[in-house]
Amino acid sequence: MQPSETETGRIAAAAEPDELRLAAELSRSFASSDNVDATVRLALSNVMQLLRVEAGSLFLREDKDGDLICRASLGPNSIEGLRVPRGSGIVGRSVEEDRIEAVEDVSRDASFFKSADATSGFVTRSILCAPMRVGKKPIGAVEVLNKQNGQPFDLKDRDMLQVMANAAALAIANARLADQLVEQERIKRELELASEIQRSLLPPADPDLPIQGINRPIREVSGDFYDFFTLPDGVIAFCLGDVSGKGINAALLMAKTSSLFRCLGKTIRAPARLLSILNREICETTSRGMFVTMLAGLYDPASGELRFANAGHLPPMLRKEHRRYRTFEASAPPLGILRDAVFPEETVKLDNEMFIVFSDGVTEYRYGADEELGLDGIDMLLKLTEEQPLGQRLEQLLAELDRGGWKARDDLTLLAIDDSLAGRIWRRGQTEAKAEAKSDFLFGLTIPAEADRLKLMRPALGAAGRAAGFSEDEIADLELAASEAVENIILHAYGEGHPGDITLAVHRLDDGLMLRIRDFAPKVDQAMVKPRPLDEIRPGGLGTHFIRAVMDDATFIPLPDGEGNLLELVKRRKKG
Amino acid sequence: MAVAGITEQQGHTVVALEGEIDLEQAGAVRRALLDSLKKGRNVLVDLSKVTYIDSSGIASLVEGLQVARRQRGELALVAVNQRVRRVLELARLDKVFQIHADLAAATAAPPSGSN
Repeated sequence: MQPSETETGRIAAAAEPDELRLAAELSRSFASSDNVDATVRLALSNVMQLLRVEAGSLFLREDKDGDLICRASLGPNSIEGLRVPRGSGIVGRSVEEDRIEAVEDVSRDASFFKSADATSGFVTRSILCAPMRVGKKPIGAVEVLNKQNGQPFDLKDRDMLQVMANAAALAIANARLADQLVEQERIKRELELASEIQRSLLPPADPDLPIQGINRPIREVSGDFYDFFTLPDGVIAFCLGDVSGKGINAALLMAKTSSLFRCLGKTIRAPARLLSILNREICETTSRGMFVTMLAGLYDPASGELRFANAGHLPPMLRKEHRRYRTFEASAPPLGILRDAVFPEETVKLDNEMFIVFSDGVTEYRYGADEELGLDGIDMLLKLTEEQPLGQRLEQLLAELDRGGWKARDDLTLLAIDDSLAGRIWRRGQTEAKAEAKSDFLFGLTIPAEADRLKLMRPALGAAGRAAGFSEDEIADLELAASEAVENIILHAYGEGHPGDITLAVHRLDDGLMLRIRDFAPKVDQAMVKPRPLDEIRPGGLGTHFIRAVMDDATFIPLPDGEGNLLELVKRRKKG
Repeated sequence: MAVAGITEQQGHTVVALEGEIDLEQAGAVRRALLDSLKKGRNVLVDLSKVTYIDSSGIASLVEGLQVARRQRGELALVAVNQRVRRVLELARLDKVFQIHADLAAATAAPPSGSN
């Protein structure tokens, strides 16, 4: 036989191709191909030439119902896409019974699947069909139709087709495996990306701060989180939380909760209120059954004062020294369970103590004969690292756990405040009196940035001025300065027609008043509100000059971008 | 309203202001002053009933003064109380505006630019 087409290639070029040669050629061709469809077609075409048949097709078995689908079909009429129900037809029988089927005259075989001919218009006389298997699993079959010249299929034909079917089965299995690997690789990459994003949600370590945290997820992503940031007056807001469950859904809820904390924590300076807002938000929008245990607090390094509220999280630990520590039981439920939950607040004054918050992965860490680490364990590990920088102490705590050789079963997360560091930096005691005088908050107002609200603010300020012992002239100055500041915000920070909120906080000082006026508009270029020369007589631009002229101090307190603008005004009583 | 009335008194247009002149009222004051200056060259602004004024109100007065002087007229202030004077001083405008003790004195004085 002479090959009539070049595409039949090396297989047909052999004068007397035998099964071995065919097997070798097919295997090589399948192994080197990254396109199984094309290779299957080529192999089918080669086998058809060798066996001298009119048509050929390859069926793959569907996993879910065992039906066979025609994936390649060569010959005068294609049946590609044809579905043969499980066990139907000669091909179905071949697959189910896992044996090669040869039918010389299909009209005499009751199981012949007639709809194939009906669909294609092809007239089938004889069929040779070989099943494909990977291990014990049937994956499909190859069949050829109508030997030319009406001859029956012989033994050699059978062997040849089975060889081709075996090679094709291996190629298909390999291709499927490769697809699975690609998919696994994709999921792995996405998890790595999620893990990276999640790490970026944690605050950067700052060796100058008396607070540090550490988080080590057990999988790529974690349901634990912690955060801390410094507010404009130096108070540090912090939190540590643990989302129920693990994996991506826990990580997503973690991302949401920590983002809400970071956003709300910049304006809400009451841990209990912050937790109840978070709780309502999570109750409203989180899928059932998920919840978050969380501790949130405020720590003032200048005074050592610590306020916190605990939503169902493990009791934090207040550690004086080795073997001297105490805890604070949580009395409120986790976030996301009861919409109207109330979160009590605790206040403690730290005196060179350490305040440690942790996830249950740490306390429930198991070592030895199934012993839990517990608070004593944490206390012991902290003893091992005295005199080291705070961040390193936390790192080393986890390293000590690793050294034991037992594996963590959960995410490990710790957050620690070391008041002894803060006490040293702030030289507490010297600044305490002043810091306390500063915190005498009288009242606060929220004013929409609209011109007709100015007259509502002034009487309150006037009353505060009178209460603080200012003269009527000084009170007029206070009212003027505050009005000018608010007008600047209306005109320049928000811009006319873009109203937002303005907050006014009035604090009493020993010798006067401090006003803090804040907006939530884009950052104002300080140059824009600088006083300008007065020798030029023209309308506008006077406000800032007035403020500076009548107040003892007017300072813009820098806020992070996107946090608005904060102006602090101080007016002291005239002496004598 | 911040503009209590606009009257003609012995050849002067008198714009009487009252209450608190801040950002909310400054626009109305500005319009009243500019309207009056369209009718006559000389405008007196009666501030006796003003309890509060800030830079927005001052800006309206300054704009009125500039328009008056461009048309060779005058915009003078009448009955400036302590609170208003303090703000004018802060703006160093207390020497820029003509200031009269009361309406009688203001209308008795010959309007500048009339001779």
